[in-house]
Amino acid sequence: MDMLFDGVQSAILLLVSWDKDLVEIVMVSLRVSFFATLIAAIIGIPGGFLIAYSHFPGKRLVLTCLNTLLALPTVVIGLLVYSFISRRGILGPLGLLYTQTAIVIGQVILIVPVIMVMTIAAISRIDSRYRMTALTLGADRYQMAVVIMKEARYGILAAVIAAFGRVIAEIGISMMLGGNAKGFTRTMTTAMALEYDKGEFVLAVALGITLMIFAFAINLLFHLFQGRTVNDAV
Amino acid sequence: MLYRAEDLRRVHDSRTVLDIGRLAIEPHRIYTLIGPNGAGKTTLLKILAFLDRPTAGSLYFFGRRVEGGDKQLNELRRQVVLLDQNPIMFTGSVMKNVEFGLKVRRVPPAERRRRIGEALDLVGMTSFIDYNARGLSGGETKRVALARALVLQPEVLLCDEPTANVDNENQEIILGIIERINREHRTSIIFSTHYLSQGQRLAHHTLLLQHGTLSDGVSENIFRATITSRRGDSLTCQLTGQLTLTLPAPIFPTDVSVVKVHFDPAAILLNPDKGRADGNYLSGHVTGLEQDSGQIRLTVDVGVKLVQFLAMDRYRLERPSIGEKVRVFIPNSAIDCSRVSPF
Repeated sequence: MDMLFDGVQSAILLLVSWDKDLVEIVMVSLRVSFFATLIAAIIGIPGGFLIAYSHFPGKRLVLTCLNTLLALPTVVIGLLVYSFISRRGILGPLGLLYTQTAIVIGQVILIVPVIMVMTIAAISRIDSRYRMTALTLGADRYQMAVVIMKEARYGILAAVIAAFGRVIAEIGISMMLGGNAKGFTRTMTTAMALEYDKGEFVLAVALGITLMIFAFAINLLFHLFQGRTVNDAV
Repeated sequence: MLYRAEDLRRVHDSRTVLDIGRLAIEPHRIYTLIGPNGAGKTTLLKILAFLDRPTAGSLYFFGRRVEGGDKQLNELRRQVVLLDQNPIMFTGSVMKNVEFGLKVRRVPPAERRRRIGEALDLVGMTSFIDYNARGLSGGETKRVALARALVLQPEVLLCDEPTANVDNENQEIILGIIERINREHRTSIIFSTHYLSQGQRLAHHTLLLQHGTLSDGVSENIFRATITSRRGDSLTCQLTGQLTLTLPAPIFPTDVSVVKVHFDPAAILLNPDKGRADGNYLSGHVTGLEQDSGQIRLTVDVGVKLVQFLAMDRYRLERPSIGEKVRVFIPNSAIDCSRVSPF
């Protein structure tokens, strides 16, 4: 118990003093997670919209597959991407292994299904009259899609936040594809694992607290935004 | 012709919800679509608004066949607006809602502001321009939805139950606006309603929809007929058990004994010349006289209440009065029948 208490105390000091190593790790984590979430959102939101609004044979199968992919272990994705980008893989010559790009690729694969499934759920909940109203007022398919997205924005934003939370907290992909190189591919989670292995709990606990602060801050922003928009007259 | 439809069918989950043999709608007129719940009114309005595609049949808009391609539908939708029974407001202000259709048409901002002002003024909602559209009452929402449609100056305004779930004051306002835009802008209007009286007060034409089938006329001229005998090219049938008619057999299905027959009120003749063989002569008493859209709606009790429309000059010539005994002639060409039953 003392160990944990000391750890928390030292971690707070580390955070308050804005330790250089800590900042570096946090920035790598944020950068990688931001780009992974951005790319996954660019793929997942329109993809989810298309699946939600189209009728094709095998749609149920696609939905089942997407739901199954939600349970895909990060280690499996790590292995899969590794087989492509390792020196012997077909993308080996690009030299992606143990780079932040490699982590981003793996994390995009991890969260595209999350964003798609949650976008489909958010759009399916939207009243069909929005679509009809937009069309009868002269909107084309693209303009109608924008209307639907706008009305489903909280659900879609929740999907993006959930996806960001998933990647910033994952360790398997970052470790296997990033390699935990200090100052380069060391993220909060891989650093925590390393510090734990070394028996150094202070930095691990400090990173854990930082991670939770970020998660809390993002959720708080989301709720503030949602509350303000719902309550405001316009 | 504004709309022309032939053999229009719409099937939902293997159930036929709309089955219209022929439909012709003239431009610049007000049509009311009357029928009970589930009669197919909303389905027909959605097809006419190009928001739903018929399962079979052909539809023409201003003589041009509606093919169903995305590009053509979008172009056609920009001439027709459907006002939903329970309109939904987009997130944002009343102004943003009314502006939507103009924005997608890339109307310049200055013209947008002018037209939004005019539309809101027409529906009496100018003071609500900056209100949150989601905070309006049911009647106010309908009026803003009407402004959102009218701001686009459509060729056709389709309204699905425009006065449903609205208080009396807002009902009058909405009906007044419909009448006014038809009169001033010659906008063609088709609106559905449960209420025969409301429809007849406003409309130039009434369309009756029952079980997905359209009858041009009013409901009184639709009867259940039991075929009692068939002989060669003619058959005898009883209307609701009180009146026997001899009718041409080919217009009836051969495999049923109970059918629905409709007599076109405009084709029935009052006090006709004798000696015609292509129809039925009947005698009865005048029970109703009413002026309706520039013609006289005459009800004659011939065993069943038969409605016929008289042109004004014919009425002046005949001058039928309530209780007077008259003769009517139903030409075979005024009869159509369908197997839809019961009704």
